[in-house]
Amino acid sequence: MLDFILLSSHLPSSNLPYLFAAFAVSWVVLFGYLFYVNRRQHEMRKEIARLQRVLDEDQSDE
Amino acid sequence: MANTQSMERPGSLGGLPTLKTSLAVITGVMMLIDLYLIFMVAPTDSVLGHVQRVFYFHVPIAIMSFLAFFVVFIASLMYLIKRSPKWDAVAHASAEVGVVFVTLALITGIIWARPIWNTWWTWEPRLTTTMILWLIYVAYLMVRSYAPTQAKGAIYAAVVGIVGFVDVPIVYYSVVWWRSIHPSPVVGPFAQSDSLDGTMALILLYSFITFVFFFAYMVMERMELRKTEEALGHVRFTLRRKGR
Repeated sequence: MLDFILLSSHLPSSNLPYLFAAFAVSWVVLFGYLFYVNRRQHEMRKEIARLQRVLDEDQSDE
Repeated sequence: MANTQSMERPGSLGGLPTLKTSLAVITGVMMLIDLYLIFMVAPTDSVLGHVQRVFYFHVPIAIMSFLAFFVVFIASLMYLIKRSPKWDAVAHASAEVGVVFVTLALITGIIWARPIWNTWWTWEPRLTTTMILWLIYVAYLMVRSYAPTQAKGAIYAAVVGIVGFVDVPIVYYSVVWWRSIHPSPVVGPFAQSDSLDGTMALILLYSFITFVFFFAYMVMERMELRKTEEALGHVRFTLRRKGR
């Protein structure tokens, strides 16, 4: 393991793609999850509004 | 006369949307400051180089997953005692967000391991116990989905949430109990006081606080979604009863 640490210490800039990848993945996963939750929320609210209209029409027919 | 009826959107958490919006703004600003501190202020590690900056995301994210599963543990216990759906909603939201965090802890760990250990993955104690933790809480979400009724799903999930929490201290102590190539803890009872430079420790603390806000915001979003799911279920039930 020490060999690996020493090897990486000689070329710290060569690790930049890993640094970029770690932060990029973190952002994609965190915001991807929030986007997914918000999208489902939006779709369900639209569905509730649609079904509520059907219910209201039923009540006015009665 | 003005209409005094509530104009809440279906699934909204009462007076909480204002709190949620404030939390989102605070989290966003804190995250921007956090990124500035990580990339512009934090010193570059003399041995590991720039890749060490992953540490400021990896460690708080891993600790947040522990916190999320602790919330699941408490909320599950309360649900089994009180049988209040509110506790089940908290446990469910926290478990889902916890799975997101532990997934990220694994992914960022894998990416960090490649340049440092020269391997993407190794079956050493910390990584193995974390993988088990991930599997337990994925199982928690699956139990909930596949249960015959929602009420049974909540009870089964609460049991998994309580029993599954046993793995959290095992993950933390794994680097102390067994020979491991994973670094020793930097936070908690086994952390060495001189393991971090002062600036690094402060930025890590700030990063941790930022993720606490992020966690709270995500849990609130997920709880609001559950309220909407319930509202939709209610409307569908009413329509079915009317034969539509």
